[in-house]
Amino acid sequence: MNGPLIFQHVILGILLGGLYALLAAGLTLYFGVMRVVMIAHAAFLVLAAYLAWYANTEFGIDPMLSMIVTVPAFFFLGVAIQRLLITRLRPATLTMMSVLLTFAMALLIEGLLGLLFTGTQRRIQLGYGSASLELFGASVPVVKLIAFGLAAAALGGLYLLLKKSRFGQALRATIQHRDAAQLVGIDTDRVAGYGFGLGLATAAIGGTALSLDATIYPSLHWHWIGPLMAIIVVGGLGSIPGAAIAAMVLGVTQSMLQIPMGTTWAQTVFYIALFGTLMLRPQGFFGGRLAQRF
Amino acid sequence: MRNASETSTPPVASDPAVPAGRTFPLVRSIQIIALIAGGALILAFPELAPNAFILSTGVIVANYAVTATSWNFMGGFTGYISLGHAAFFGLGSYATALLITKAGLPSFLAWAVGAVIVGVLAIPVGVAALRVRGASFVIATISLVLILLLVFQAWAFAGGSGGMVVPRPFDVLRPEHHRIFFYLFVALLAVALLVWWLIDRSRLGVGLKAIREDEDKAQSLGVPTRNYKLAMFTLSATFTALAGGLYALWFGSLDPIFQFSILVASYMVLMSLLGGVRHLFGPLLGAIIVGSALEYFKVQYGDTQFHLVASALLLAIVVLFMPDGVIPAVKSLVQRLFGSEAASIREESAAELLEKDRSREEEAAR
Repeated sequence: MNGPLIFQHVILGILLGGLYALLAAGLTLYFGVMRVVMIAHAAFLVLAAYLAWYANTEFGIDPMLSMIVTVPAFFFLGVAIQRLLITRLRPATLTMMSVLLTFAMALLIEGLLGLLFTGTQRRIQLGYGSASLELFGASVPVVKLIAFGLAAAALGGLYLLLKKSRFGQALRATIQHRDAAQLVGIDTDRVAGYGFGLGLATAAIGGTALSLDATIYPSLHWHWIGPLMAIIVVGGLGSIPGAAIAAMVLGVTQSMLQIPMGTTWAQTVFYIALFGTLMLRPQGFFGGRLAQRF
Repeated sequence: MRNASETSTPPVASDPAVPAGRTFPLVRSIQIIALIAGGALILAFPELAPNAFILSTGVIVANYAVTATSWNFMGGFTGYISLGHAAFFGLGSYATALLITKAGLPSFLAWAVGAVIVGVLAIPVGVAALRVRGASFVIATISLVLILLLVFQAWAFAGGSGGMVVPRPFDVLRPEHHRIFFYLFVALLAVALLVWWLIDRSRLGVGLKAIREDEDKAQSLGVPTRNYKLAMFTLSATFTALAGGLYALWFGSLDPIFQFSILVASYMVLMSLLGGVRHLFGPLLGAIIVGSALEYFKVQYGDTQFHLVASALLLAIVVLFMPDGVIPAVKSLVQRLFGSEAASIREESAAELLEKDRSREEEAAR
């Protein structure tokens, strides 16, 4: 093993971890506001990637411009899913049934993508697609840097929104204690809907970032949802910083393990981390009291 | 009047486990006749099937019925929804295949040993997964399928992504082969149903249902919740592995993508929920409905993803509109259409109870 190779994998791991962190933040938002584990999150991610690919091949638009449409569209779709579907479920069995409902959404998206675009693997051809930067002997593809930049910007924006705005305060209050938030005059139903919308918007941004340098196909979402769910359990369900840290740590670990073990075995690190967490610390390593019961 | 009905034991007509002894002899005999007729119809199916293809579809549906019933040991009794039972299905099939081809065991001995091995493997998995409830449990079970898919795709000893070929146990023509395996699956289904029924009536079953309704209360009342859940998880995994092993012997070849498929796991959940997880025959009914529909879609629409869309929509509809399944839905419909027998029984018994209470009060006053 040589230095530059390890360094390169560390860089690639961090870049991948950024995307994981953004998507895991979305999953955490759903869980925070509604106690819903959104299995369809990765399916929406792949859907957004397909939309970016479609815009690029049909109209010749740069995939990143597709976000102008997909991000607001996904936001409103998220609000609609929360208001029209999730709230219909019985409170007593909400967590279990919502898993099945979002699982059905994931299958639906996968099936529709397969029907519309067939199972063929797709990839966006970009002028800057093969360019890469040399960094202390490590070569980093430009598209991966752009994807990381998008994810980091979105995550930063989300952080500012949650910490600095009035709406963010209301959202955090709703996550922390719904009844108390209601008592101080927050319209928790509406805030929960917006929280869901924000979560889905992260999938739109992540999907665009993914479409830049990945080959996409309808069943790709299973390769994403497993690691993402492992990340939110390791980080502690409901904790956004926990999810971000776990995403970075696991992303870099996966990338490093690819050197000796190859891609397939390296992916098992997520599941080993998941089962290890369940044995040692079921509430996750950074989770607060939220995680204990769920 | 109001007082009397409140202090007396609440009428638990809605719980399907209780009324077995209390229902009318007429209803009871209709149930028994329906049961015998249904059983006879299932046993006669290979004779009625017009061709080998329909017969093989019957084998697939019987396989679905066994897996859904096995899933219901966990899902129905404890209310823990596992989306990972495809892992045990796949492990069962691979264990059988490996024991036959690598260890040289006879087919059905390999099948039984394989299921025992999977049952033992399920214990540590269950210990880890059952440390959490609800969403985390579902995540852990899904991850189990995904990790095993990765492992079996990369593991060269078990054939890697090319899968494995399993030698057939019987040297017979194809239709005869289907017929034998149809009866084997039905026999396994009968055993699974019998065990489910026995547990349903036992002390264990009561404890498990207490966990389903309110785990904290059950625990505080002294139900050994973890051991009960673990026992059910292991039993459920073992039956699923038996189904998987039988499938391997029948189908003859294994592909990791189909053996460790989240889709297979979701079918078990869909079938059980559709039929009704609280009912003995719920998963069987769901398997017959969903299994036939799936096979029909596959024939009709071939390789397209239409069966995915159809099962997704069906699952969403079941979850949103009848999470208790078709059996309770039909029951309430029948009650609404033909007047409610249950209500009249309940009124009668309430009046009787009132009478009893009154006589007891009089005795106490004396």
